Amino acid sequence: MIKSLILDAAYFLNTSKKYQSFKNFFYNILENDKCKYKRYIDIFMIILIFISVGVLIREVKHHVNDYLMFFSNYVISIIFFIEYMLRLWVNSSVSEIIVKRAEHDTFLLREVNLYKAFKKILKVKLTYMASPKAIIDLLAILPFFHELRLLRIFILFRVFKLFRYAKSLQILSSVLATKKFEFFTLGIFAFVVIFISSVLIYVMEGNRADSPVDTLFEALYWAIVTISTVGYGDIVPVTSEGRFVSIIVIIAGIAVLAFTTSLFVSAFTEKLEEIKEIKTIENISKLKKFYLICGYENVAREVARKLSKSGHNIIVLDEDVQRVQNAKLDGYTTLNYNPGNKESYEKLNIDMQKQLKGVLCLRENDVDNVYAALTIRSLNKDVMILSLLNNDANRNKLEFVGINKIVYPQELVGLITKELVGKPVAFEVIHELRSEDSDVIIDEIGITKRIVENFPTVGDLNNKHYSIVLLGVYKHEKDRFYFNPLDSTLLEAGDYLLVIGYQVYIKEFEKYLHTRVHDD
Amino acid sequence: MTKTTALIFGHNKYAYEIIKNVKDKYNSIKVYSLDKHDKKEGLYDVELFDLSDEWEEIENSVDIENSIAFCALEDPSENIFLTISLRSSFENLTIITIASNKENSDKLKMAGATKVIPIVETTSDIIANVLEKPVSNKVLHSILYEESDLKIAQIKIDDTSHFKDEKLKSIDWTRYNGILVLSVMHEDMQSEFIYSNKAKEHVIKSGDILVIVGYEKDIQEFENLIGSKRYVDWSHWSR
Repeated sequence: MIKSLILDAAYFLNTSKKYQSFKNFFYNILENDKCKYKRYIDIFMIILIFISVGVLIREVKHHVNDYLMFFSNYVISIIFFIEYMLRLWVNSSVSEIIVKRAEHDTFLLREVNLYKAFKKILKVKLTYMASPKAIIDLLAILPFFHELRLLRIFILFRVFKLFRYAKSLQILSSVLATKKFEFFTLGIFAFVVIFISSVLIYVMEGNRADSPVDTLFEALYWAIVTISTVGYGDIVPVTSEGRFVSIIVIIAGIAVLAFTTSLFVSAFTEKLEEIKEIKTIENISKLKKFYLICGYENVAREVARKLSKSGHNIIVLDEDVQRVQNAKLDGYTTLNYNPGNKESYEKLNIDMQKQLKGVLCLRENDVDNVYAALTIRSLNKDVMILSLLNNDANRNKLEFVGINKIVYPQELVGLITKELVGKPVAFEVIHELRSEDSDVIIDEIGITKRIVENFPTVGDLNNKHYSIVLLGVYKHEKDRFYFNPLDSTLLEAGDYLLVIGYQVYIKEFEKYLHTRVHDD
Repeated sequence: MTKTTALIFGHNKYAYEIIKNVKDKYNSIKVYSLDKHDKKEGLYDVELFDLSDEWEEIENSVDIENSIAFCALEDPSENIFLTISLRSSFENLTIITIASNKENSDKLKMAGATKVIPIVETTSDIIANVLEKPVSNKVLHSILYEESDLKIAQIKIDDTSHFKDEKLKSIDWTRYNGILVLSVMHEDMQSEFIYSNKAKEHVIKSGDILVIVGYEKDIQEFENLIGSKRYVDWSHWSR
């Protein structure tokens, strides 16, 4: 009866969407770094930690307000307790373990053995509870029993909780964790030296009336102070034997210190690239809009320069170390990821729909461009992809993977040549208009509702006053360009004016269009 | 003066695209390659040449005065050497070359190329324009490459032109429906935007070139009205 009730409850919870999304919500805000709300929870917890430490310090010599004391001892402890329980809950799924066991036993035509399921649940939960982070969480709750003065010191364990919330501390601990074996060896060596030297000094000087070493604890204290090269000088050996021990400890101390420093340095040097990568990804996820350039070669370099000059954010992905280095030297945020690998984008942790203005596959290799485009298309159907085509025979492959715009340099050269030989002066004029360094440019001004209200027709624009040539109006809805429109042409929101003029006048003209209030 | 023969140096994708686009503009197209294998494979009659050529053979078979050369060799150093070689033999030959990057582009100009098409810069210009100014890029592309009826033309002012000796700013362009004048090129080979202060005060002389945009019909009407014709002269290219 009870067994069937437990099984029913487990199946219900395991299949209930409401329950799962509820649990998922708590998992995200507590454990999922990609969840934007987790940051707020982390900040809130950090504030609580500092409040309790502040209260502990204040309490040493001053009276602390009763409410604050109550808040520190009870409210914060209860919040931490709730957090502890929630973490214990979301860490693993009890219902899932029961369901799996039930299905396993049913499949083997056995009676469901709930005992094994409970054993596994206990094991999973205890494993979590025995993890260093969970132990710190538990110790941080202990100040709740503040009447026991000793337990108040556990407030300091709350500081260790910072490792949970501050990412840089997590990075620090993960970096040091890579040198676990080396630190262990160092610890053993230091322990042996401290142990031997403290026993030796105690044996040598413990019975001497003029020696400050009276107890084994004092000998241990002296050994640690000496080995760390701190050397307070409050306890010094007075016998020759004691001084000989000192020499040994000092030499060993230098070795320990040098070893420790080199361990830290090598751990950080080895992990530096990884740390930088984590930081870069973090920065990328904060960007609102950017262009993603896949492959950094000649054309990519120029495109990145031009786009970056116009104020666009650029992120470069390339699998080649040398090209990545080039992009970094040129000042772009670059990751040594393979653009044709799905995992690269998962690591990037970006919202393609919202953050990507477009993807530019600019490798001088069609196979890589197709591969990168296909990977991106498989992740997002709508993002704009532009690709360089290096061999016309591959055009259909690029079209097949859903690339929106294909640029074929050879074709461009042909078209340009045609225009060059036919109308060299006109070509130069158009080329100048497109050039980034030219004073006179062609620009497009989007027509807003406000502009339409104040300037209903082309004749109202008064562009000649700003020494601007109105080449025409592009009607977005009809996807049609109206060259040199009549003054009576009506403007609509969503249209684009194509204007030619000095950059500075175009800016003035645009400002005038946006700010002018119609004086009827 | 209109050229009659196109000399294409190189047998590759660039040369192919150049031929495809200019073949209608010249009476004859001559393709030259460094590789003897191209002679068998090519769609056109490919003739062999050597970078150490003195060009006597070409000089004897082609009217160099009425020819234009396209240097499209893929190896940048060979392309530069070819340009120098052609220029040293033919002082007035119009030479259009492709360049892989800015550095080669500068070298080719020094080597005497009339016009250099830097591939990387041109491609990246197009990509940046597509992304930043999609509408204007689309319109300019269709005007330049004649994908629509809208055309860009250059009109040379001659002695019989209506505008001769008139100040640019005194001309009422609205009389010429459907035409937009973008710039004027003076005798000193400088192109000036129509609204620049220099252009406004400019008195139109014989030999000036107006760059206009309009539909074919309107351009023809404009030509008739002002008594000037469309004109191409490579001597306008400064080297």
